[in-house]
Amino acid sequence: MRRLRESIVALVMLAPSLVVLGVFVIYPLGRAVVLGQQRCDPSGRTCESNGWDQYVDVFRSNEFQDALWVTLKFALITVPIGLALGVGLAVLADKHLRGIGVFRTIFSSTVATSVAVASLMWLFLLNPAVGVLADWIGGVAKEPGLLRDPDTALWAVSATSVWANLGFTFIVVTAALQGVPRELYESAYVDGANGWGRFVNVTVPMLGPTLLFVTVVLTSRAFQAYGEFDLLTGGGPQGRTTTLTYLIYGNNSIVKSQEGLKAAVAVLLFLLLLIVSAVQFRMVSRRVHYGN
Amino acid sequence: METRGLRLVGRYVLLVALAFVVLFPIYVALVAAFKPGNEVFKDPLVPGPFTLDTITDAWEQGNLGRALTNSAVVAVIVTVLQVVTSVLAAYAFSFLRFPGRSIVFGIFVATLLIPFEATVVVNRRTIEDLGWLNSFQGLAVPFVATAFGTFLIRQVFVTLPTDMRDAARMDGLGHWGFLREVALPLVRPSVGALALFSFLATWNQYLWPTVITTEQDWNTVQSGLRALAQANLDQPNLVIAGTIIVAVPIFVILLVFQKQLVRGLTAGAVKG
Amino acid sequence: MNRRRAAPFLAGCLVLAACGSGESILEAGNDRATTTPAPIDTTPGQTTLPTIPPTTLPAVLADLPSCTPDALGDGPVTITFWHGLSNELGRALEGLTQQFNDSQDRVRVNLEFQGGYEQTIDKYLQSSPENRPDMVQTPEYALQLMIDTESTVPIESCIQASGYDTSDFIPAALNAYATEGVQWTIPYNVSNPVLFYNKKYFRDAGLDPEDPPITLEEVSEVGRAMQATGAAAYGLAIDTPPDGGGGWFLEQWLGKEGELYSDNDNGRSAPSSRVLWDGPVAVDILTELYSVITDGGGIYVGENPSGQDTLLKLADQTAPASMAISTSAALGPVLSIVGAGTIPGVTADDIGIGPMPSPSGNPGATIGGASLWIVAGKGDDRAAAAWEYIQFLLSPQAQSDWAAATGYVPVREDALTLDPIKTLYEQDPRFRVAFDQLEASPDGPASSGPVLGPLREVRVVAAKAMGEIMLGADPQASLTAAATTANQLVSAYNSSRPPD
Repeated sequence: MRRLRESIVALVMLAPSLVVLGVFVIYPLGRAVVLGQQRCDPSGRTCESNGWDQYVDVFRSNEFQDALWVTLKFALITVPIGLALGVGLAVLADKHLRGIGVFRTIFSSTVATSVAVASLMWLFLLNPAVGVLADWIGGVAKEPGLLRDPDTALWAVSATSVWANLGFTFIVVTAALQGVPRELYESAYVDGANGWGRFVNVTVPMLGPTLLFVTVVLTSRAFQAYGEFDLLTGGGPQGRTTTLTYLIYGNNSIVKSQEGLKAAVAVLLFLLLLIVSAVQFRMVSRRVHYGN
Repeated sequence: METRGLRLVGRYVLLVALAFVVLFPIYVALVAAFKPGNEVFKDPLVPGPFTLDTITDAWEQGNLGRALTNSAVVAVIVTVLQVVTSVLAAYAFSFLRFPGRSIVFGIFVATLLIPFEATVVVNRRTIEDLGWLNSFQGLAVPFVATAFGTFLIRQVFVTLPTDMRDAARMDGLGHWGFLREVALPLVRPSVGALALFSFLATWNQYLWPTVITTEQDWNTVQSGLRALAQANLDQPNLVIAGTIIVAVPIFVILLVFQKQLVRGLTAGAVKG
Repeated sequence: MNRRRAAPFLAGCLVLAACGSGESILEAGNDRATTTPAPIDTTPGQTTLPTIPPTTLPAVLADLPSCTPDALGDGPVTITFWHGLSNELGRALEGLTQQFNDSQDRVRVNLEFQGGYEQTIDKYLQSSPENRPDMVQTPEYALQLMIDTESTVPIESCIQASGYDTSDFIPAALNAYATEGVQWTIPYNVSNPVLFYNKKYFRDAGLDPEDPPITLEEVSEVGRAMQATGAAAYGLAIDTPPDGGGGWFLEQWLGKEGELYSDNDNGRSAPSSRVLWDGPVAVDILTELYSVITDGGGIYVGENPSGQDTLLKLADQTAPASMAISTSAALGPVLSIVGAGTIPGVTADDIGIGPMPSPSGNPGATIGGASLWIVAGKGDDRAAAAWEYIQFLLSPQAQSDWAAATGYVPVREDALTLDPIKTLYEQDPRFRVAFDQLEASPDGPASSGPVLGPLREVRVVAAKAMGEIMLGADPQASLTAAATTANQLVSAYNSSRPPD
């Protein structure tokens, strides 16, 4: 009897979440999976099946492989650098110095900048004709501009992304650092460890779960990044900043009118994220298993 | 282990240099936003003759007043409802036994991994069929439930000792009573963090508002900024002024709620 | 991550990388290979091309939604108009619409700005019939897309039903929006590319500031003079976005040389099945364009996604270019920005406008801009109301006001006899250049420009190829590869449509 009552209460409590998640997350994915093997007319309303091999062909196609590589490269650049910078700044500001609060606020400030704000600020800075940084850096930054040269464009967008995410990383790592007992540092000091030694042997292990958390968030943001590519480079130059997400939604995507192909790419992106998350969760459980 | 003397000076120098680097884009943007349009390309680093004209022009042209209202309303709706649905769902997973619990839990986990991009096209069709284009509900409803929030709250709920629940039951508190009197007060820091995250995430949404609004009055700040930036040959300083207008409210909120944010993040992140 | 775990992960990465098929995503899932079209054989310098075939007009029109202007009655009928014009352009449209609304009470027009042309098309295509507006403005490249939605009332029906006189319209403007003999839509805001140049740099280099270059060879001479005298760092600034230097300009240059962009008379006598720009003419055009960069003092500024980079290069304080090709619609905004003193050292009088240079210097241009469509299935009264509004917007006085306020070109010649455009063209002939260029366009499908369903994506592909060429790639190889992709786009589009 109590079991029944509990089940009813559970149903009531879960119903809102289940309805919303079902309608707006699960159903669309299912529909997208079906769409991914169809071809549609430009309105996207009349579709017919083109065979499930469409998925395989999409995966193996030039445009997908190129975008996959750009996406992976973007994540491989932004996540480690963002993590290192965030941790570095947090450790640097983790001292009871006078006025440290001001510095902490400054380092956290980029969390107030959304994708659009950060991208537009950097667009202004990097504009080859009138931007401040373009004049200072000179060379490629001036002609044709860091965002317009095929070799530097992805790095420039990465810099914007790293900067925008710096505040988040800083805040999270700083909060975690508060939880590291001072005695651990002191005993390491007594054992003769210098600053770097204390960092490696005390800070990093204690921050383990936090670092993983930040990595997971930064990675998922990197794979789903869209706004910076839309505003800064339009997927160019020469497709060098066309990520998988841009391939699906970008203005200059070659499959812009092909609803079926876009759905296929979206589903494949989902599978990719699944794999990446699985790998990251594996790393978490491994660390937990072996202890800190 | 205190830093003194040269090390202290060195550390301050480093801090100042890094602060300069981090603030530089914001500084340039602030300088440009408060300069008149015809001064913006001269001495970009030096604050020029102060004027609010650029800001007011950006406000009008970008319809940013309306955009800010839209973003605020939608963010509040989503935040409040995400907290409600997350707390309810987390309670169900933590304290209730019912058939199929692990399956439903598995469904929640699965939704964490579904990227938003995979769902936008179909969601747009759904919203359109419901007649919710250009509306607050269209902007908000797809996001009012979240597995992330559910897990965040659940993490705290499961730490509650069982004898607390048994004691409450013996006091005659049903589940709703227990939720209200005991469980909810205990998760307040996590709720605070979730609320802040939800607000920020919704405020920062870029793709969704662009997709489901056809009328300019319904732009949120992000799609409004995008529209401002993409207008043909618009003055770059107007766009920059727009970014300042959009960034300021969030910065203020973060300053005010700094402590809650940190506390909630500690609860969520460090526990892993 | 220890080494044991890393190995399969890395192996997985390598497997992923080795999985490429070398095929385009457009071929995914298709069971048969696209039939490779026969090799191209356009002869350079073709100027005698068949004009639009004689009409099968009555038969075709009879199958299409009809237009009954009398259905309007006394009204008031409220109609919604989706458009993509922002800022000053949007405000000018709002002004005219207000004027129309105030001047009569049979029709009330509600303007709804969609954020841009792309958004307008996307939202229109994705909308179900109930959610469509009564009138919509779409850009020139969406012509075939809109025709294929089979959701509009051809303007031809309204023209015939009300006996509307189009004899004062510029033929090139009307023809651009007609296929298979049917006038589907009516041009409203018309632009074409013109040469922007800095007269001050011309003077400093010892060149006549009123004599802009017409051929690409002359452009190179100017560039060399600029660099020799140090008047400016560069001659022509070149970009390759889909809507500018890359996609659109290729159509312009092919049109000026009298070449077709795609088969079936640029898609005007029947829907196209392939593109034709991988032939010797296009190769020559782009080789010459590249030579402007290598020894004509030009500079390639990249893909210009914001659309502003070439003009901003003119404003560059340290390494300016002296010329840029951009849409005539930019003239108004440029003059107002420069006139406000935003660009140090450049005054509004320094801006010069010339016709778009091309390899041969032939006159004319294919039009840019957008056109107005009446949406079918919303009721005859709404269609009639939309036609009322359209007639107003296209009246000589409204066209004169519109052109003067925006820098767009009037689509009818009798607008030129009315102020404000009459005085504007007299006092500032820079605004006339685009109009004269359009009037000088020869007849024929080549000058009318291509009509293709996936024209926007084809332009993206063409732009990418042009970008490669501007970076030094072999023109024929780039164009051939790009044409293959473009043809895949066309066949994917054609096969997605239900058979007629």
